[in-house]
Amino acid sequence: MTNDNTFGAPARTGAHAGRPRQAASQLSASLPMLDVDDMPQPMGTPVITFDHVTKIYPAQPNKPALDDITLQIYAGEFVFLVGHSGSGKSTFIRMLIREVKPTQGHIYVADEDLSTMRNWRVPYLRRNIGCVFQDFKLLPNKTVFENVAFALEVIGKSRHVIKTQVPEVLRLVGLQDKLNKRPDQLSGGEQQRVSIARAIVNRPPLLICDEPTGNLDPQTSRGIMDLLERINRTGTTVLVATHDREMVDNMRRRVIALDKGHLTRDQDRGVYGFDV
Amino acid sequence: MSSLLYFLKESLTGFTRNLSTALGSIVTIFLSLLIIGIFLIGGFIVENVVSSVEDKVSISVWLSDDASDSDITTLQNYIQGLEGVESVGFTTKDQALENFRNSMTSNPEIVDQLDGQNPLPASIEVELADPQMVETIAGQIQSNDTFTKICDNPADPADSLKYGQKSVERLFSLTNYIRYIGIALIALLIFIAMVFINNTIRLAILARRKEIAIMRLVGASNGFIRGPFLMEGALHAIIGSLLAVGSLELLRSLVFPKISSALVWLPLDLGGSTTFMIYAILVVAGLVIGLLGSALAMRRYLKV
Repeated sequence: MTNDNTFGAPARTGAHAGRPRQAASQLSASLPMLDVDDMPQPMGTPVITFDHVTKIYPAQPNKPALDDITLQIYAGEFVFLVGHSGSGKSTFIRMLIREVKPTQGHIYVADEDLSTMRNWRVPYLRRNIGCVFQDFKLLPNKTVFENVAFALEVIGKSRHVIKTQVPEVLRLVGLQDKLNKRPDQLSGGEQQRVSIARAIVNRPPLLICDEPTGNLDPQTSRGIMDLLERINRTGTTVLVATHDREMVDNMRRRVIALDKGHLTRDQDRGVYGFDV
Repeated sequence: MSSLLYFLKESLTGFTRNLSTALGSIVTIFLSLLIIGIFLIGGFIVENVVSSVEDKVSISVWLSDDASDSDITTLQNYIQGLEGVESVGFTTKDQALENFRNSMTSNPEIVDQLDGQNPLPASIEVELADPQMVETIAGQIQSNDTFTKICDNPADPADSLKYGQKSVERLFSLTNYIRYIGIALIALLIFIAMVFINNTIRLAILARRKEIAIMRLVGASNGFIRGPFLMEGALHAIIGSLLAVGSLELLRSLVFPKISSALVWLPLDLGGSTTFMIYAILVVAGLVIGLLGSALAMRRYLKV
Protein backbone atom coordinates (compact mmCIF):
# COMPACT_ATOMS: atom_id res chain seq x y z
CA MET A 1 0.00 0.00 0.00
CA THR A 2 2.60 2.55 1.03
CA ASN A 3 5.33 3.52 -1.31
CA ASP A 4 8.85 3.23 0.07
CA ASN A 5 10.48 4.98 -2.86
CA THR A 6 10.53 8.22 -0.93
CA PHE A 7 13.02 10.10 -3.07
CA GLY A 8 11.92 8.86 -6.46
CA ALA A 9 9.02 11.23 -7.01
CA PRO A 10 9.81 12.36 -10.57
CA ALA A 11 10.51 8.94 -12.04
CA ARG A 12 7.51 7.54 -10.31
CA THR A 13 5.16 10.18 -11.59
CA GLY A 14 6.51 9.61 -15.07
CA ALA A 15 5.41 6.02 -14.85
CA HIS A 16 2.02 7.28 -13.77
CA ALA A 17 1.44 9.29 -16.92
CA GLY A 18 -1.62 7.39 -18.06
CA ARG A 19 -3.29 7.15 -14.70
CA PRO A 20 -5.17 10.41 -14.19
CA ARG A 21 -6.63 10.21 -17.65
CA GLN A 22 -8.15 6.93 -16.68
CA ALA A 23 -9.50 8.39 -13.47
CA ALA A 24 -10.99 11.29 -15.31
CA SER A 25 -12.78 9.11 -17.79
CA GLN A 26 -14.20 7.01 -14.98
CA LEU A 27 -15.40 10.19 -13.39
CA SER A 28 -16.98 11.55 -16.49
CA ALA A 29 -18.82 8.30 -17.03
CA SER A 30 -20.49 8.75 -13.66
CA LEU A 31 -21.53 12.33 -14.37
CA PRO A 32 -24.49 13.57 -16.37
CA MET A 33 -23.56 14.91 -19.81
CA LEU A 34 -24.60 18.44 -18.96
CA ASP A 35 -21.97 18.70 -16.26
CA VAL A 36 -19.26 17.66 -18.64
CA ASP A 37 -20.29 20.38 -21.06
CA ASP A 38 -20.07 22.95 -18.28
CA MET A 39 -16.45 22.17 -17.64
CA PRO A 40 -13.97 24.93 -18.32
CA GLN A 41 -11.28 22.42 -19.36
CA PRO A 42 -11.80 19.46 -21.63
CA MET A 43 -11.13 16.19 -19.87
CA GLY A 44 -7.60 15.01 -20.21
CA THR A 45 -5.82 18.34 -19.94
CA PRO A 46 -4.28 19.08 -16.57
CA VAL A 47 -5.67 21.96 -14.52
CA ILE A 48 -2.60 21.96 -12.31
CA THR A 49 0.89 20.88 -13.33
CA PHE A 50 3.89 20.85 -10.99
CA ASP A 51 7.08 20.44 -12.99
CA HIS A 52 10.09 19.64 -10.74
CA VAL A 53 9.04 22.27 -8.23
CA THR A 54 11.35 23.08 -5.32
CA LYS A 55 10.69 25.73 -2.72
CA ILE A 56 13.36 26.82 -0.28
CA TYR A 57 12.49 29.53 2.23
CA PRO A 58 15.40 31.88 3.00
CA ALA A 59 15.04 31.17 6.72
CA GLN A 60 15.84 27.46 6.22
CA PRO A 61 18.25 27.15 3.29
CA ASN A 62 19.10 23.51 4.01
CA LYS A 63 15.56 22.26 4.47
CA PRO A 64 13.40 22.70 1.38
CA ALA A 65 9.68 23.12 2.10
CA LEU A 66 8.98 21.24 -1.13
CA ASP A 67 11.63 19.20 -2.90
CA ASP A 68 11.39 18.39 -6.61
CA ILE A 69 7.65 17.81 -6.83
CA THR A 70 6.23 16.73 -10.18
CA LEU A 71 2.54 15.92 -10.55
CA GLN A 72 -0.56 16.73 -12.53
CA ILE A 73 -4.16 17.25 -11.46
CA TYR A 74 -6.85 16.96 -14.10
CA ALA A 75 -10.14 18.72 -14.57
CA GLY A 76 -12.96 17.28 -12.52
CA GLU A 77 -10.74 15.42 -10.07
CA PHE A 78 -11.24 15.37 -6.31
CA VAL A 79 -7.81 15.23 -4.68
CA PHE A 80 -6.75 14.95 -1.05
CA LEU A 81 -3.41 16.44 -0.09
CA VAL A 82 -2.27 14.76 3.14
CA GLY A 83 0.76 15.02 5.36
CA HIS A 84 1.90 15.99 8.83
CA SER A 85 2.38 19.57 9.91
CA GLY A 86 5.42 20.99 8.18
CA SER A 87 5.21 18.51 5.33
CA GLY A 88 4.69 21.28 2.80
CA LYS A 89 0.91 21.23 2.32
CA SER A 90 0.47 24.91 2.99
CA THR A 91 3.41 25.82 0.77
CA PHE A 92 1.82 23.72 -1.97
CA ILE A 93 -1.42 25.69 -1.67
CA ARG A 94 0.21 29.07 -1.29
CA MET A 95 2.12 28.42 -4.49
CA LEU A 96 -1.07 27.61 -6.37
CA ILE A 97 -2.55 31.02 -5.61
CA ARG A 98 0.88 32.52 -6.18
CA GLU A 99 1.36 33.87 -2.71
CA VAL A 100 4.86 32.39 -2.98
CA LYS A 101 6.88 31.60 -6.06
CA PRO A 102 8.82 28.33 -6.53
CA THR A 103 12.59 28.51 -6.09
CA GLN A 104 13.04 26.08 -8.97
CA GLY A 105 10.73 24.47 -11.48
CA HIS A 106 7.45 25.59 -12.96
CA ILE A 107 3.83 25.52 -11.87
CA TYR A 108 1.10 25.72 -14.48
CA VAL A 109 -2.51 26.47 -13.63
CA ALA A 110 -4.75 26.20 -16.70
CA ASP A 111 -1.71 26.35 -18.98
CA GLU A 112 -0.42 29.54 -17.42
CA ASP A 113 3.09 29.50 -15.95
CA LEU A 114 2.88 31.00 -12.45
CA SER A 115 6.62 31.53 -12.11
CA THR A 116 6.71 33.94 -15.05
CA MET A 117 3.29 35.47 -14.42
CA ARG A 118 3.28 39.27 -14.07
CA ASN A 119 2.11 40.65 -10.73
CA TRP A 120 -0.86 42.47 -12.21
CA ARG A 121 -2.18 39.18 -13.61
CA VAL A 122 -2.29 37.52 -10.19
CA PRO A 123 -5.75 38.86 -9.24
CA TYR A 124 -7.13 37.34 -12.45
CA LEU A 125 -5.56 33.98 -11.55
CA ARG A 126 -7.21 34.13 -8.14
CA ARG A 127 -10.60 34.78 -9.66
CA ASN A 128 -10.35 31.30 -11.18
CA ILE A 129 -9.44 29.64 -7.90
CA GLY A 130 -11.86 29.42 -4.98
CA CYS A 131 -10.18 29.26 -1.58
CA VAL A 132 -11.50 27.88 1.70
CA PHE A 133 -9.52 28.03 4.94
CA GLN A 134 -9.61 26.49 8.36
CA ASP A 135 -10.31 29.86 9.99
CA PHE A 136 -13.08 30.78 7.50
CA LYS A 137 -11.73 34.32 6.90
CA LEU A 138 -15.17 35.95 7.00
CA LEU A 139 -15.66 39.65 7.62
CA PRO A 140 -17.24 39.92 11.08
CA ASN A 141 -19.09 43.16 10.44
CA LYS A 142 -20.83 42.02 7.25
CA THR A 143 -23.85 39.77 6.96
CA VAL A 144 -23.76 36.35 5.31
CA PHE A 145 -25.20 37.83 2.14
CA GLU A 146 -22.69 40.72 2.15
CA ASN A 147 -19.76 38.39 2.80
CA VAL A 148 -20.60 36.32 -0.28
CA ALA A 149 -21.54 39.37 -2.33
CA PHE A 150 -18.18 40.94 -1.42
CA ALA A 151 -16.37 38.37 -3.57
CA LEU A 152 -18.42 39.46 -6.57
CA GLU A 153 -18.33 43.19 -5.79
CA VAL A 154 -14.56 43.41 -5.69
CA ILE A 155 -14.20 41.80 -9.10
CA GLY A 156 -16.64 44.33 -10.49
CA LYS A 157 -19.76 42.23 -11.02
CA SER A 158 -23.01 44.14 -11.52
CA ARG A 159 -25.66 44.47 -8.84
CA HIS A 160 -28.00 42.32 -10.90
CA VAL A 161 -25.54 39.40 -11.04
CA ILE A 162 -24.96 39.70 -7.30
CA LYS A 163 -28.69 39.69 -6.52
CA THR A 164 -29.28 36.49 -8.49
CA GLN A 165 -26.10 34.52 -7.80
CA VAL A 166 -25.65 35.06 -4.08
CA PRO A 167 -29.02 33.62 -2.94
CA GLU A 168 -28.54 30.76 -5.37
CA VAL A 169 -25.17 29.74 -4.00
CA LEU A 170 -26.38 30.16 -0.41
CA ARG A 171 -29.24 27.79 -1.21
CA LEU A 172 -26.68 25.33 -2.55
CA VAL A 173 -24.81 25.32 0.77
CA GLY A 174 -28.09 25.22 2.72
CA LEU A 175 -27.98 28.70 4.28
CA GLN A 176 -30.91 30.27 2.44
CA ASP A 177 -32.55 31.15 5.78
CA LYS A 178 -29.54 32.92 7.27
CA LEU A 179 -28.86 35.62 4.67
CA ASN A 180 -29.02 38.45 7.19
CA LYS A 181 -27.17 36.83 10.06
CA ARG A 182 -23.67 37.92 10.91
CA PRO A 183 -20.83 35.37 11.20
CA ASP A 184 -20.75 35.48 15.00
CA GLN A 185 -24.40 34.40 15.04
CA LEU A 186 -23.57 31.21 13.13
CA SER A 187 -22.09 27.87 14.18
CA GLY A 188 -18.62 26.84 12.97
CA GLY A 189 -20.04 24.54 10.31
CA GLU A 190 -22.36 27.26 9.04
CA GLN A 191 -19.50 29.74 8.90
CA GLN A 192 -17.47 27.28 6.86
CA ARG A 193 -20.44 26.88 4.51
CA VAL A 194 -20.48 30.66 4.05
CA SER A 195 -16.81 30.65 3.17
CA ILE A 196 -17.38 27.81 0.70
CA ALA A 197 -20.26 29.76 -0.80
CA ARG A 198 -17.97 32.76 -1.16
CA ALA A 199 -15.31 30.62 -2.79
CA ILE A 200 -17.65 29.14 -5.42
CA VAL A 201 -20.04 32.03 -6.07
CA ASN A 202 -17.81 33.15 -8.91
CA ARG A 203 -17.99 29.59 -10.37
CA PRO A 204 -14.25 29.00 -10.42
CA PRO A 205 -13.04 25.86 -12.20
CA LEU A 206 -10.76 25.06 -9.25
CA LEU A 207 -11.58 24.96 -5.54
CA ILE A 208 -8.75 24.74 -3.01
CA CYS A 209 -9.49 23.98 0.64
CA ASP A 210 -6.82 24.23 3.34
CA GLU A 211 -7.95 22.14 6.33
CA PRO A 212 -11.62 22.97 5.74
CA THR A 213 -12.72 20.75 8.63
CA GLY A 214 -9.82 21.50 10.97
CA ASN A 215 -12.02 23.41 13.42
CA LEU A 216 -15.16 21.30 13.17
CA ASP A 217 -16.58 18.23 14.90
CA PRO A 218 -16.74 14.95 12.93
CA GLN A 219 -20.41 15.17 12.05
CA THR A 220 -20.19 18.74 10.80
CA SER A 221 -17.05 17.78 8.91
CA ARG A 222 -18.97 15.10 7.08
CA GLY A 223 -21.54 17.66 6.05
CA ILE A 224 -18.81 19.92 4.69
CA MET A 225 -17.22 17.04 2.79
CA ASP A 226 -20.60 16.10 1.30
CA LEU A 227 -20.92 19.65 0.13
CA LEU A 228 -17.45 19.59 -1.43
CA GLU A 229 -18.31 16.36 -3.16
CA ARG A 230 -21.51 17.86 -4.57
CA ILE A 231 -19.52 20.81 -5.85
CA ASN A 232 -17.04 18.40 -7.43
CA ARG A 233 -19.90 16.63 -9.17
CA THR A 234 -20.78 19.82 -11.02
CA GLY A 235 -17.36 19.67 -12.66
CA THR A 236 -15.27 21.78 -10.34
CA THR A 237 -11.81 20.41 -9.61
CA VAL A 238 -11.43 20.18 -5.84
CA LEU A 239 -8.16 20.00 -3.92
CA VAL A 240 -8.43 19.43 -0.17
CA ALA A 241 -5.47 19.59 2.21
CA THR A 242 -6.34 17.78 5.40
CA HIS A 243 -5.26 15.68 8.40
CA ASP A 244 -8.73 14.21 8.68
CA ARG A 245 -7.86 10.50 8.50
CA GLU A 246 -11.46 9.29 8.74
CA MET A 247 -12.61 11.51 5.91
CA VAL A 248 -9.83 10.45 3.55
CA ASP A 249 -10.31 6.75 4.36
CA ASN A 250 -14.08 6.97 3.89
CA MET A 251 -14.15 8.87 0.64
CA ARG A 252 -11.55 6.88 -1.25
CA ARG A 253 -10.43 9.58 -3.64
CA ARG A 254 -7.04 10.32 -5.12
CA VAL A 255 -4.53 10.94 -2.34
CA ILE A 256 -1.29 12.88 -2.67
CA ALA A 257 0.92 12.42 0.38
CA LEU A 258 3.73 14.79 1.32
CA ASP A 259 6.39 14.13 3.92
CA LYS A 260 9.07 16.69 4.78
CA GLY A 261 8.68 18.28 1.38
CA HIS A 262 8.83 15.07 -0.62
CA LEU A 263 6.06 13.49 -2.61
CA THR A 264 5.80 10.06 -0.97
CA ARG A 265 2.61 8.69 -2.46
CA ASP A 266 0.10 9.46 -5.19
CA GLN A 267 -2.69 6.93 -5.54
CA ASP A 268 -6.26 6.67 -6.77
CA ARG A 269 -8.88 5.73 -4.21
CA GLY A 270 -6.20 6.10 -1.55
CA VAL A 271 -6.28 6.19 2.24
CA TYR A 272 -4.71 8.55 4.72
CA GLY A 273 -1.91 6.09 5.32
CA PHE A 274 0.17 7.89 7.97
CA ASP A 275 0.55 6.33 11.40
CA VAL A 276 -0.68 8.67 14.04
CA MET B 1 -17.90 54.68 -13.38
CA SER B 2 -19.63 51.94 -11.43
CA SER B 3 -16.43 51.21 -9.55
CA LEU B 4 -16.05 54.90 -8.77
CA LEU B 5 -19.50 54.78 -7.21
CA TYR B 6 -18.46 51.64 -5.39
CA PHE B 7 -15.36 53.42 -4.01
CA LEU B 8 -17.49 56.30 -2.82
CA LYS B 9 -20.03 53.99 -1.20
CA GLU B 10 -17.31 51.90 0.43
CA SER B 11 -15.42 54.92 1.69
CA LEU B 12 -18.62 56.31 3.21
CA THR B 13 -19.54 53.04 4.92
CA GLY B 14 -15.92 52.65 5.98
CA PHE B 15 -16.21 56.10 7.43
CA THR B 16 -19.23 55.31 9.57
CA ARG B 17 -18.04 51.82 10.44
CA ASN B 18 -14.60 52.91 11.64
CA LEU B 19 -15.83 56.13 13.15
CA SER B 20 -13.21 56.33 15.90
CA THR B 21 -10.21 55.87 13.61
CA ALA B 22 -11.80 58.19 11.07
CA LEU B 23 -12.28 60.85 13.73
CA GLY B 24 -8.71 60.24 14.86
CA SER B 25 -7.23 60.97 11.48
CA ILE B 26 -9.58 63.91 10.87
CA VAL B 27 -8.60 65.48 14.19
CA THR B 28 -4.91 64.87 13.48
CA ILE B 29 -5.16 66.49 10.06
CA PHE B 30 -7.26 69.33 11.49
CA LEU B 31 -4.86 70.15 14.31
CA SER B 32 -1.74 69.85 12.16
CA LEU B 33 -3.18 72.10 9.48
CA LEU B 34 -4.51 74.55 12.06
CA ILE B 35 -1.05 74.94 13.59
CA ILE B 36 0.56 75.20 10.17
CA GLY B 37 -2.08 77.75 9.20
CA ILE B 38 -1.49 79.84 12.32
CA PHE B 39 2.23 79.84 11.61
CA LEU B 40 1.66 80.68 7.95
CA ILE B 41 -0.53 83.65 8.86
CA GLY B 42 1.95 84.66 11.55
CA GLY B 43 4.74 84.35 9.01
CA PHE B 44 2.92 86.53 6.49
CA ILE B 45 2.24 89.17 9.17
CA VAL B 46 5.88 89.17 10.28
CA GLU B 47 6.91 89.42 6.65
CA ASN B 48 4.54 92.40 6.21
CA VAL B 49 5.95 94.11 9.29
CA VAL B 50 9.52 93.40 8.28
CA SER B 51 9.12 94.71 4.76
CA SER B 52 7.21 97.79 5.93
CA VAL B 53 10.06 98.52 8.32
CA GLU B 54 12.59 97.88 5.58
CA ASP B 55 10.76 100.19 3.22
CA LYS B 56 11.38 103.03 5.63
CA VAL B 57 15.11 102.72 5.01
CA SER B 58 16.29 105.62 2.83
CA ILE B 59 19.44 107.68 2.47
CA SER B 60 19.60 111.40 3.20
CA VAL B 61 22.45 113.27 1.57
CA TRP B 62 23.01 116.54 3.49
CA LEU B 63 24.28 119.36 1.38
CA SER B 64 26.32 122.41 2.25
CA ASP B 65 24.42 125.73 2.28
CA ASP B 66 26.53 127.17 -0.53
CA ALA B 67 26.29 124.27 -2.98
CA SER B 68 25.52 125.50 -6.48
CA ASP B 69 22.34 124.40 -8.26
CA SER B 70 24.29 122.80 -11.09
CA ASP B 71 26.37 120.68 -8.68
CA ILE B 72 23.20 119.56 -6.93
CA THR B 73 21.65 118.56 -10.24
CA THR B 74 24.80 116.68 -11.26
CA LEU B 75 24.80 114.75 -7.97
CA GLN B 76 21.06 114.06 -8.28
CA ASN B 77 21.54 112.68 -11.78
CA TYR B 78 24.48 110.59 -10.65
CA ILE B 79 22.51 109.03 -7.79
CA GLN B 80 19.51 108.49 -10.01
CA GLY B 81 21.77 106.51 -12.35
CA LEU B 82 22.94 104.13 -9.62
CA GLU B 83 21.65 100.59 -9.63
CA GLY B 84 19.07 99.87 -6.94
CA VAL B 85 17.86 103.47 -6.60
CA GLU B 86 14.11 103.89 -6.86
CA SER B 87 13.72 107.66 -6.80
CA VAL B 88 15.60 110.78 -5.83
CA GLY B 89 13.97 113.79 -4.20
CA PHE B 90 15.28 117.18 -3.14
CA THR B 91 14.44 118.96 0.09
CA THR B 92 15.35 122.64 0.37
CA LYS B 93 16.38 124.24 3.66
CA ASP B 94 12.91 125.81 4.00
CA GLN B 95 11.15 122.51 3.42
CA ALA B 96 13.45 120.83 5.95
CA LEU B 97 12.45 123.41 8.55
CA GLU B 98 8.81 122.98 7.65
CA ASN B 99 9.10 119.18 8.05
CA PHE B 100 10.83 119.68 11.37
CA ARG B 101 8.09 122.04 12.54
CA ASN B 102 5.45 119.49 11.52
CA SER B 103 7.11 116.68 13.40
CA MET B 104 7.41 118.87 16.49
CA THR B 105 3.76 119.90 16.73
CA SER B 106 3.57 118.55 20.29
CA ASN B 107 6.12 121.07 21.54
CA PRO B 108 6.32 123.98 19.10
CA GLU B 109 8.48 126.05 21.49
CA ILE B 110 11.54 124.16 20.25
CA VAL B 111 11.04 125.66 16.82
CA ASP B 112 10.40 129.09 18.33
CA GLN B 113 13.73 128.83 20.14
CA LEU B 114 15.45 128.96 16.73
CA ASP B 115 14.74 132.70 16.54
CA GLY B 116 14.10 132.66 12.78
CA GLN B 117 17.42 131.02 12.00
CA ASN B 118 17.49 127.82 9.97
CA PRO B 119 20.20 125.39 11.09
CA LEU B 120 18.93 122.58 8.89
CA PRO B 121 20.78 121.72 5.67
CA ALA B 122 19.15 121.10 2.30
CA SER B 123 19.25 117.43 1.40
CA ILE B 124 18.77 114.86 -1.38
CA GLU B 125 16.41 112.05 -0.34
CA VAL B 126 17.19 108.68 -1.95
CA GLU B 127 14.49 105.99 -1.96
CA LEU B 128 15.80 102.49 -2.57
CA ALA B 129 14.29 99.76 -4.73
CA ASP B 130 16.00 97.13 -2.64
CA PRO B 131 16.54 98.22 0.98
CA GLN B 132 19.22 95.55 1.42
CA MET B 133 21.50 97.52 -0.97
CA VAL B 134 21.72 100.56 1.24
CA GLU B 135 25.40 99.99 2.17
CA THR B 136 26.58 99.66 -1.42
CA ILE B 137 24.70 102.72 -2.64
CA ALA B 138 25.88 104.81 0.28
CA GLY B 139 29.44 103.80 -0.52
CA GLN B 140 29.06 104.77 -4.16
CA ILE B 141 27.64 108.19 -3.26
CA GLN B 142 30.43 108.81 -0.78
CA SER B 143 33.13 108.15 -3.36
CA ASN B 144 31.58 110.62 -5.82
CA ASP B 145 33.63 113.82 -6.36
CA THR B 146 30.66 116.15 -6.61
CA PHE B 147 29.42 114.81 -3.30
CA THR B 148 32.70 115.50 -1.50
CA LYS B 149 32.64 119.01 -2.95
CA ILE B 150 29.13 120.01 -1.87
CA CYS B 151 28.49 117.89 1.17
CA ASP B 152 27.48 119.58 4.43
CA ASN B 153 30.62 118.63 6.31
CA PRO B 154 33.60 118.47 3.87
CA ALA B 155 35.95 117.52 6.74
CA ASP B 156 34.19 114.19 7.12
CA PRO B 157 32.01 113.40 4.06
CA ALA B 158 30.66 110.21 5.64
CA ASP B 159 29.02 112.35 8.31
CA SER B 160 26.80 113.96 5.66
CA LEU B 161 25.28 110.61 4.63
CA LYS B 162 22.49 109.67 6.98
CA TYR B 163 20.92 106.21 6.84
CA GLY B 164 21.26 104.98 10.42
CA GLN B 165 24.22 102.76 9.52
CA LYS B 166 24.39 100.56 12.60
CA SER B 167 20.67 100.21 13.24
CA VAL B 168 20.02 99.29 9.60
CA GLU B 169 22.61 96.55 9.74
CA ARG B 170 21.12 95.16 12.90
CA LEU B 171 17.60 95.41 11.53
CA PHE B 172 18.50 93.43 8.43
CA SER B 173 20.25 90.65 10.30
CA LEU B 174 17.25 90.47 12.61
CA THR B 175 14.67 90.37 9.81
CA ASN B 176 16.65 87.69 7.98
CA TYR B 177 16.78 85.61 11.15
CA ILE B 178 13.04 85.97 11.56
CA ARG B 179 12.50 84.79 7.98
CA TYR B 180 14.76 81.74 8.32
CA ILE B 181 13.25 80.74 11.65
CA GLY B 182 9.75 81.07 10.19
CA ILE B 183 10.58 78.87 7.19
CA ALA B 184 12.31 76.27 9.37
CA LEU B 185 9.37 76.18 11.80
CA ILE B 186 6.84 75.68 9.04
CA ALA B 187 8.95 72.94 7.43
CA LEU B 188 9.26 71.21 10.80
CA LEU B 189 5.52 71.44 11.40
CA ILE B 190 4.73 70.00 7.97
CA PHE B 191 7.09 67.11 8.66
CA ILE B 192 5.50 66.43 12.05
CA ALA B 193 2.04 66.57 10.49
CA MET B 194 3.11 64.08 7.80
CA VAL B 195 4.41 61.64 10.42
CA PHE B 196 1.25 61.94 12.53
CA ILE B 197 -1.12 61.58 9.62
CA ASN B 198 0.76 58.67 8.08
CA ASN B 199 0.65 56.92 11.45
CA THR B 200 -3.05 57.48 11.93
CA ILE B 201 -3.87 56.21 8.45
CA ARG B 202 -1.64 53.22 8.98
CA LEU B 203 -3.58 52.36 12.12
CA ALA B 204 -6.85 52.70 10.22
CA ILE B 205 -5.58 50.32 7.55
CA LEU B 206 -4.15 47.91 10.10
CA ALA B 207 -7.62 47.67 11.61
CA ARG B 208 -8.89 46.52 8.23
CA ARG B 209 -6.04 44.31 7.05
CA LYS B 210 -8.29 41.26 7.26
CA GLU B 211 -10.61 42.86 4.78
CA ILE B 212 -7.69 43.61 2.48
CA ALA B 213 -6.41 40.03 2.75
CA ILE B 214 -9.83 38.68 1.75
CA MET B 215 -10.10 41.12 -1.12
CA ARG B 216 -6.79 39.85 -2.44
CA LEU B 217 -7.87 36.26 -1.93
CA VAL B 218 -10.96 36.60 -4.07
CA GLY B 219 -9.00 38.33 -6.80
CA ALA B 220 -9.63 42.05 -6.40
CA SER B 221 -7.05 44.06 -8.33
CA ASN B 222 -4.73 46.33 -6.38
CA GLY B 223 -6.34 49.43 -7.83
CA PHE B 224 -9.70 48.21 -6.66
CA ILE B 225 -8.42 47.57 -3.15
CA ARG B 226 -6.65 50.90 -2.98
CA GLY B 227 -9.61 52.92 -4.27
CA PRO B 228 -11.83 53.10 -1.19
CA PHE B 229 -8.87 53.68 1.11
CA LEU B 230 -7.54 56.56 -0.95
CA MET B 231 -11.04 57.98 -1.18
CA GLU B 232 -11.38 57.69 2.57
CA GLY B 233 -7.99 59.33 3.13
CA ALA B 234 -8.99 62.17 0.83
CA LEU B 235 -12.34 62.51 2.61
CA HIS B 236 -10.64 62.75 6.02
CA ALA B 237 -8.15 65.26 4.64
CA ILE B 238 -10.84 67.47 3.12
CA ILE B 239 -12.95 67.46 6.29
CA GLY B 240 -9.87 68.10 8.46
CA SER B 241 -8.59 70.93 6.29
CA LEU B 242 -12.02 72.57 6.01
CA LEU B 243 -12.28 72.49 9.80
CA ALA B 244 -8.84 74.08 10.03
CA VAL B 245 -9.77 76.79 7.52
CA GLY B 246 -13.02 77.43 9.36
CA SER B 247 -11.25 77.82 12.70
CA LEU B 248 -8.63 80.12 11.18
CA GLU B 249 -11.36 82.29 9.65
CA LEU B 250 -13.11 82.42 13.03
CA LEU B 251 -9.82 83.35 14.68
CA ARG B 252 -9.21 86.05 12.09
CA SER B 253 -12.63 87.65 12.45
CA LEU B 254 -12.83 87.46 16.24
CA VAL B 255 -9.29 87.87 17.55
CA PHE B 256 -7.57 90.06 14.97
CA PRO B 257 -9.69 93.18 15.52
CA LYS B 258 -8.84 93.07 19.23
CA ILE B 259 -5.12 92.71 18.62
CA SER B 260 -4.99 95.40 15.99
CA SER B 261 -6.83 97.88 18.20
CA ALA B 262 -4.24 97.18 20.91
CA LEU B 263 -1.23 97.26 18.58
CA VAL B 264 -2.02 99.90 16.03
CA TRP B 265 1.45 99.94 14.50
CA LEU B 266 1.14 96.26 13.42
CA PRO B 267 -0.16 95.89 9.87
CA LEU B 268 -2.33 92.88 10.77
CA ASP B 269 -4.66 92.87 7.82
CA LEU B 270 -3.40 90.44 5.22
CA GLY B 271 -5.85 91.30 2.50
CA GLY B 272 -8.37 88.93 0.97
CA SER B 273 -6.14 87.40 -1.69
CA THR B 274 -3.35 86.42 0.71
CA THR B 275 -5.85 84.92 3.15
CA PHE B 276 -7.51 83.00 0.35
CA MET B 277 -4.11 81.78 -0.83
CA ILE B 278 -3.24 80.51 2.66
CA TYR B 279 -6.57 78.68 2.88
CA ALA B 280 -6.09 77.16 -0.57
CA ILE B 281 -2.57 76.06 0.41
CA LEU B 282 -3.95 74.39 3.52
CA VAL B 283 -6.68 72.48 1.68
CA VAL B 284 -4.34 71.34 -1.09
CA ALA B 285 -1.64 70.38 1.41
CA GLY B 286 -4.20 68.41 3.42
CA LEU B 287 -5.37 66.58 0.32
CA VAL B 288 -1.83 65.75 -0.77
CA ILE B 289 -0.90 64.57 2.73
CA GLY B 290 -4.06 62.48 3.00
CA LEU B 291 -3.68 60.78 -0.39
CA LEU B 292 0.08 60.31 -0.09
CA GLY B 293 -0.23 59.07 3.48
CA SER B 294 -2.87 56.49 2.52
CA ALA B 295 -0.96 55.32 -0.54
CA LEU B 296 2.29 54.94 1.42
CA ALA B 297 0.62 53.23 4.36
CA MET B 298 -1.17 50.80 2.01
CA ARG B 299 1.84 49.80 0.03
CA ARG B 300 3.00 46.95 2.21
CA TYR B 301 -0.43 45.32 2.26
CA LEU B 302 -0.62 45.23 -1.51
CA LYS B 303 2.52 43.25 -2.22
CA VAL B 304 1.49 40.20 -4.20
